[in-house]
Amino acid sequence: MSFFDSINISATGLTAEQTEMNVTAENLANANSTNNGTPYTPQAVDLESIGSGNTFQDELSSAMGNTSGGVSGPPGGVQVQGIVSENVPAQEVYDPGNPQANKQGYVKEPNIQPVTEMTNMIQESNSYQADVTAMSTSKQMYSSTLELLR
Amino acid sequence: MSLLDNTQMALESAMSGSMIEQSTLANNLANADTPNFEPSNVNFQQTLADAMSAGQSPTSVQYTAYTQPQVTSANGNGVDPNVTDAQIAENGLLYQDLVQVAAAREGILETAMNTTTSG
Repeated sequence: MSFFDSINISATGLTAEQTEMNVTAENLANANSTNNGTPYTPQAVDLESIGSGNTFQDELSSAMGNTSGGVSGPPGGVQVQGIVSENVPAQEVYDPGNPQANKQGYVKEPNIQPVTEMTNMIQESNSYQADVTAMSTSKQMYSSTLELLR
Repeated sequence: MSLLDNTQMALESAMSGSMIEQSTLANNLANADTPNFEPSNVNFQQTLADAMSAGQSPTSVQYTAYTQPQVTSANGNGVDPNVTDAQIAENGLLYQDLVQVAAAREGILETAMNTTTSG
């Protein structure tokens, strides 16, 4: 366990929230992208925690039966496992004047609800701020340690 | 009789325990949106108190995190960001308390050393 672990962990949280924010922005920007018949599918971020059983040491010690009962490895934060397409069908909107409309006059549009995306954005922004607060608390702890040496 | 007494060692051990708790809580907060994530925590005061009442040296205390199996949101995540935020703030203040007490005690030693050299 190094001295700067907690700041690094908060940083992984910031990166993850930033990625989520980018994806949300992309979903909102493409809310009306019909793409010539194959509309844009909304994207979502898959998050997973780092550490706690992912390292070689943890695997080895658990294989040898050395489970301490609690968390095995030191915590490592969070990472983006991947950006996946959400499995939602496109919605059909009646718009006969649109050049991409089919014979019945329907256009396939992405099924993106701006309200949902906005709610996600607020949640991501709050998580980001919480990570920043944690980071600044860790920073204060390190500064107060340095005060010891003065 | 060593230069640093048991209390000073306990203070330093508590500081490192508090640092581990800080990492653990920061990890909880970073994983506030990770599906099926179980938060963990470190009760360093209890660990240290148990070790010291058992006559163990504070420097040899190992702090380990324990998981809290709970679910607070629909994706199976157990982190409550508000509670975690409060715990981080509390831990930060506690750490600064420890530093101040440790610094004050070292100040006493320093004063004693200066008195002997100048006198």
